[in-house]
Amino acid sequence: MAITVTIRTNSTGNAEPELKTLEPILKVENVWKLYHAGKVEVPALRGVNFEVLPGESVAVMGPSGCGKSSLLYVIGGLAKASRGKVLVDGNDLVAMSDAERTKLRRHKIGFVFQRFNLLPALSAKGNIAIAQYIHGDGFDPHRFEVVTKMLGLDGRLEHRPSEMSGGEQQRVAIARAIINEPKILLADEPTGNLDTKNSEIVLEMLRRLNKDLGQTIVMITHNPEATTYFDRVVHMRDGVIVDGGPAD
Amino acid sequence: MMGQFVFRNLFHRPLRTLIGVVAIAVEVTLVIVVVGLTSGMLQETAKRIEGIGADIMVQAPSAQIFIVMSGSPMPVKIGEKIHDLKYVQYVSPAFLQFNTSGGVETIWGIDPASFRDVSNGFVFHEGHDLQGPDDMLVDDWQARAKHVKLGDTYTLLNHDWKVVGIVEHGKAGRIFVPITTLQELVGGRDKATIFLVRCTRPEHTPDVIGEIKELLPNYPVRPVKEFMTLMTSTNIPALQTFINSMIALAVSIGLLVIFLSMYTTVLERTRDIGVLKSLGASKFMIIRALLAETTLLCLLGIFTGIGLSYVVRAGFLKLFPTLSILITAGWVLRAALIAIVGALIGASYPAWQASRKDAVEALSYD
Repeated sequence: MAITVTIRTNSTGNAEPELKTLEPILKVENVWKLYHAGKVEVPALRGVNFEVLPGESVAVMGPSGCGKSSLLYVIGGLAKASRGKVLVDGNDLVAMSDAERTKLRRHKIGFVFQRFNLLPALSAKGNIAIAQYIHGDGFDPHRFEVVTKMLGLDGRLEHRPSEMSGGEQQRVAIARAIINEPKILLADEPTGNLDTKNSEIVLEMLRRLNKDLGQTIVMITHNPEATTYFDRVVHMRDGVIVDGGPAD
Repeated sequence: MMGQFVFRNLFHRPLRTLIGVVAIAVEVTLVIVVVGLTSGMLQETAKRIEGIGADIMVQAPSAQIFIVMSGSPMPVKIGEKIHDLKYVQYVSPAFLQFNTSGGVETIWGIDPASFRDVSNGFVFHEGHDLQGPDDMLVDDWQARAKHVKLGDTYTLLNHDWKVVGIVEHGKAGRIFVPITTLQELVGGRDKATIFLVRCTRPEHTPDVIGEIKELLPNYPVRPVKEFMTLMTSTNIPALQTFINSMIALAVSIGLLVIFLSMYTTVLERTRDIGVLKSLGASKFMIIRALLAETTLLCLLGIFTGIGLSYVVRAGFLKLFPTLSILITAGWVLRAALIAIVGALIGASYPAWQASRKDAVEALSYD
């Protein structure tokens, strides 16, 4: 079942209040993901139902192997669901070709990974700018400045990943993920490789992105403390959401 | 931005890049030098034949155009018949012997008197013309290369010759001996490899060629002025096959090294490819980035190869001053094109493989 949140807004030039339905930016309906180990089918996701509203921040928790990462890859279009529907901003990823999912990812999804995954040959600036290049609009110096300043990267832009701390690398990765203003930011254990101090910095930045800029965020984490920075926590087990999913 | 990405990737692994550049450079150098050496030899031979000053050259029916390798002698008496033809002023037989002991050289056995008539004689730096049976003339290049001085004894074909003259280069061969002595030495008495014909006037050349062809059907009769255009590798089948084989070898080296280099690059950058895919890079974008990197690597190799070709040529000429290596813009461009096409073919499979990588697997690659 999908959650439909209804809010009241004031419409200019209309004396009467107007009802406006806030559609989920992400809607996952009965999604299955099967992997093949030889002739054996191994289900990673078994009928997941899940929704995220625009501007919401959701943490997905669960034990290792419960399907968290599979869910993230499926909703990010990196992997295709075997069955079900994955609607991102109204587009069904399951019905899309690989090229169409790539295009959607380019324009609507931002990824942050546990291992930072910066391109080692490029500087911090290059790592962020390449996302703008791939997006297709070219380098936007204003947006670049706003994002890097917000993430405290001003003085580190010419450094390569090997010359930066883990926390700095993850901030560059966040900058790269949000530089094109994606509809959804997907974070796969972003604090998994960081110490406590840097974890707090990164989580605080994600929180600010959500609260100040209204960035929709879905984050996978093992860390219960990390979930306190998020609006909602979803628990997964054995490929299904057991708590915090859509209300019946 | 993509240019910067490609450029930075290229120099991220300097040793790998260096190996790729060297492989391409060797490929380019091999093509340029091999072709330069063969065309240089042909052109140089052709120039020297033209430099004789004769109007027509007659060869035996089975003779090759590349006369220095020709082993098809004709009876000397043919020369007398040619001489009797209308508009023929002088005829000179020459017996050519290809020698590979102690160097690669062609010995020209000439009849001094008739050769002088046909060619207006040599320009002497030192000494005098052939007089005795064991006399030898060498040109100035040969003298410099072999450190030969006037009066020296020069052993060739197990025979001791006396250097009696050093002549200006550019006429026929580099070593000249009396035809009769050479005929005796190699068992070719009364034989000639070519006849050099001088007409009473140059404009009579076509008429004389017609007459000779009538007299000696099947004998190749060529105006010497056209010799330069005829002396190309395409007119010498074995040489063309050799050149093609060398080019194929060079291309194989370049292609395989680039294939291996880009294959390992793709493996090494599996995670980076996953990252690019997560950012929304299309398959085409990934292929383009890898092929652009290959092209840049190739360009570096090409420029290095061109430079190396000149170094190799200088080295060769230092060691073998009589060699001629002709580096032409046309073949430099062709070598560059061959290298680029070979490299792109070598890189295309790894690039295609990279574009097809599963993003999730790539991101979890260690």
